Amino acid sequence: MRDVVEGIVLAFLSLAAIWGAWQVPAASPGDTWAGIVPFAASVALLALSGLLLLGGLRASDTGHDLAEGGDTGTLDILVLFAIALIYQQSFRWFGYVLPTAIVAPVVLYIFGVRNWIGLAVSVIACPLIFHIIFFELLGVFPPYGEVFDLLDWFRG
Amino acid sequence: MEIFPALLSVITDPTLLFAIVLAAAVGMIVGATPGLTASAAIAMLLPITFYMPPLFALAFLYVIGKSGRYGGSVAAILFNTPGTAASAATQIDGYPLARAGKAGKAMKVATISSVIGDFMGDIMLVVGVGFIASIALKLGPPETFAIYFAAFVVIGSVIGKSITKGLISALLGILVAMVGLDPISSEERYTFGSFELSNGIGLVPLMIGVFVLGEVFAQLEERKKAKGEVRENESDPSGHTLTYEEYKPCIPHAIRGGFIGAGIGVLPGLGSAIAAFISYGEGKRRAKNPEQWGKGALEGVAAPEAANNAVSGPSMAPLLTLGIPGSTIGAILLGVFLIHGIQVGPTLFLTDKELVYQLFACGMLGIFAYGIIGYFGATQVARLILKVPVNVLYPLIFLTAFVAAYSARGSMFDVTVMTVAGFVGWLMRKFDFNVAAFVISFVLAKGAEETFRQSLLMSDGGALIFVERPIAAGFLLLGLAAMGFRIRSIMKERRIAEGGLGDA
Repeated sequence: MRDVVEGIVLAFLSLAAIWGAWQVPAASPGDTWAGIVPFAASVALLALSGLLLLGGLRASDTGHDLAEGGDTGTLDILVLFAIALIYQQSFRWFGYVLPTAIVAPVVLYIFGVRNWIGLAVSVIACPLIFHIIFFELLGVFPPYGEVFDLLDWFRG
Repeated sequence: MEIFPALLSVITDPTLLFAIVLAAAVGMIVGATPGLTASAAIAMLLPITFYMPPLFALAFLYVIGKSGRYGGSVAAILFNTPGTAASAATQIDGYPLARAGKAGKAMKVATISSVIGDFMGDIMLVVGVGFIASIALKLGPPETFAIYFAAFVVIGSVIGKSITKGLISALLGILVAMVGLDPISSEERYTFGSFELSNGIGLVPLMIGVFVLGEVFAQLEERKKAKGEVRENESDPSGHTLTYEEYKPCIPHAIRGGFIGAGIGVLPGLGSAIAAFISYGEGKRRAKNPEQWGKGALEGVAAPEAANNAVSGPSMAPLLTLGIPGSTIGAILLGVFLIHGIQVGPTLFLTDKELVYQLFACGMLGIFAYGIIGYFGATQVARLILKVPVNVLYPLIFLTAFVAAYSARGSMFDVTVMTVAGFVGWLMRKFDFNVAAFVISFVLAKGAEETFRQSLLMSDGGALIFVERPIAAGFLLLGLAAMGFRIRSIMKERRIAEGGLGDA
């Protein structure tokens, strides 16, 4: 069953890729079409998705499609991914320091750290250490928070 | 002969020597930590190397890769958990030796054999790379495209359990690489009107996402499944020392392993895990004591360890001469070359020959460094790893991934790419797709497209040019033959498995 679902998802993906390649304008005389490689790759992807789908259907017909792998931990990963998305977006709104101070203890908690002192220390230590290494020592310009930037506030 | 002045210049540079020793130690620790890979460490450290001189950056990451391969054996022997896929073959005999109180002996055999194999691979690289580069200079676009094609097919079909999923992973890598402006006509492809997408997907955020954030997701999942604690196997005093008489029977296995690893290393995509298992199988077949193999034979540690480390040097040959990375570490190093404005390919030996040989010299000194650290300090490294709290380590890696992705170009879009790539990388691992094939194909796609379209222009649009030129046709056939052999071996494995079930 898993191969069937994977095959269907990939088939839709390849159809979207074929459509995307088709949008590339035709080549000017004496040149090659810029869409030729994306088009060829997406057609090949469609063919392989078909193979995956057929293999999955055949396996489910012959009863070889056994239960594969549990979903243990998937919910935690989805939660962590959601945190990752919010964290990266919040750089744009609040700069680096504030989001890191909030996310560090949350991620530590997800990974099983239950020491409240440790979690509290991470609120200050993580943004401070990363800020010193990357934005002070390496000289990278920190992301600026459009709504509120704690670093700006600290610097007055 | 270029290697000797290069060695001299590296030895006389204390900063570079310090970087090599540091990289050897870091690589060993990373390789020995179950769940952490040298690729992840290199991807994470990649943005930092932007601020270093090119040789310093390349040497640092190259030695981490070498030492990381060796470090995998420490975890395989002591914890029965291979630190890298390549050290899974070492585990077969290494762990029984550790259980018998000979962990120290097994680790010393692994260290000496790794050093022998790695040196053999590097010597072959130094001797052969100039010759390969001189041939590569004579290849035209059709031949180069045929080599790319063979690399795609071999990488997609040979690594991993499923050929279909391997090839799908390679195609996905190609499609992601197509996002942005076409380098020839400047037409937009898959940009959906987004300005940020028109610059394409960056190699660094993609790598950090797939290898670092993806690994954090995978480790979180593993933690939910894992039960019990990892414990180190203690050595008794006699099991810690290794005499020459004990190592003597291992020497032919280490040398054979070195040749097997070096041969496999030149072929893109095959990698050290395959070399290690072939060397183990070949060693067992030729051994005087095959009944001991699998139960704790020192030769069973020497053969795979020499082979998996011998891959490291020769795998640089296709990268440096043709711009085709043979491994994920090679793909990341290609990124470092590009970031520092160095064009990889046959002309590299005309424009930056000195740098290339200095890099080889750093590699050789790196082998020496990890050999010394490993021989005298592997047990201490293992104890250190056991003390690292994993529940703190992975959150820190999670946070580093974001700041590292941002630091690469100071771009928030790169951070978004890294986050999405991390989730996609985890999904690919979960559903048995091939992450290595995806990344390597992403790196290869632009070069392959360029040579393909140049060939079409040369032939006025006719695809027969790839068949009419013998070298090009030869490489196309090589790719197809590799896929054919893989299909045959999978079918054979299936028949054996079905026969085995039938007997049961």
